[in-house]
Amino acid sequence: MRIMFINNQGAGYANYVQIADNTTIQQFFAIKMQDQQEADYLIRVNRMPVPKDYVLQDGDRVTITPVKIEGAQPVLLEQIV
Amino acid sequence: MKNNIQKKSMLRFSPTAWAKLLFMRDMTNNEVGGFGITKANDLLFVTDFALVKQKVTSISVSFDDEAISGFFEDQVAAGRKPQEFARHWIHTHPGSSPEPSCTDEKTFDRVFGPCDWAVMAIIAQDGNSYARLRFNTGPGGEVKIPVYVDYDCEFAGSDLDLWIQQYKANVFVDEILKEKSEKLIFDEKLLADLPPLKNDRSFSLLTSDDLIAEVDKMDPIERQLFIDELAVRSDFWDQENEVLYG
Repeated sequence: MRIMFINNQGAGYANYVQIADNTTIQQFFAIKMQDQQEADYLIRVNRMPVPKDYVLQDGDRVTITPVKIEGAQPVLLEQIV
Repeated sequence: MKNNIQKKSMLRFSPTAWAKLLFMRDMTNNEVGGFGITKANDLLFVTDFALVKQKVTSISVSFDDEAISGFFEDQVAAGRKPQEFARHWIHTHPGSSPEPSCTDEKTFDRVFGPCDWAVMAIIAQDGNSYARLRFNTGPGGEVKIPVYVDYDCEFAGSDLDLWIQQYKANVFVDEILKEKSEKLIFDEKLLADLPPLKNDRSFSLLTSDDLIAEVDKMDPIERQLFIDELAVRSDFWDQENEVLYG
């Protein structure tokens, strides 16, 4: 089965990958994002949120992107939050 | 005019991308951020500044998580690879300091640390700039690089209507944080008690023909020696906060 996978890890990836039938999105994350925490990423399938036990389907588009991309002026913000 | 070898060790902007970045910076007194879009064959040459939905104040910028996901989808649909649209994290500081804050550093580590390479660029209100290239191949390393506006290319004119439209569609004031920050700014006693800025990092300009490729080719010992050499040559680049125009 083939799905589209998009993420920015390593060299970055935006291409089709072969996966086993009945792979859940949670299993896919564990395989592709080793040593990473799910909480640090937003996971979308076909641009929509899915439960952890969602079984990936042929042709799905999986996007795993980082969360909390934030910047601040030196010092000031760190005093507030 | 800089020669090609010098240019390859700089973060370069097309005049149009630079104008757009400054235009966005000057829309309000708030911060603004986005991603630099590059050409596939010239990954340190930013040809567009792309906004994503974000909340801002005069001292902060925070991208919307859903918008990032959508941005990746849209860019891939446009035929780009992640290294062409998701490796240059660019934001502004309304004050005069382009130096990264603790928040900036944490984001750069957490979000861009797992990437093979990434650039954090900050443009201050008064024109000072800061750019740092980090590469994570081999033992990894990072160097501060100058910002350069490269007129030695074909470039389009401004599109103010579109830029205003993009700004209004993506940039929103964080009212809650704004209120807190304004209180803090007017609290002179609190400001007086703030610790001084720390800048214990030392970076220098790396002048190589092809920065990433050359460093990647080195064996581990040679690479470490190279990085050590960079650390002691921090005075090599003495105009680090200035934007160069070519």
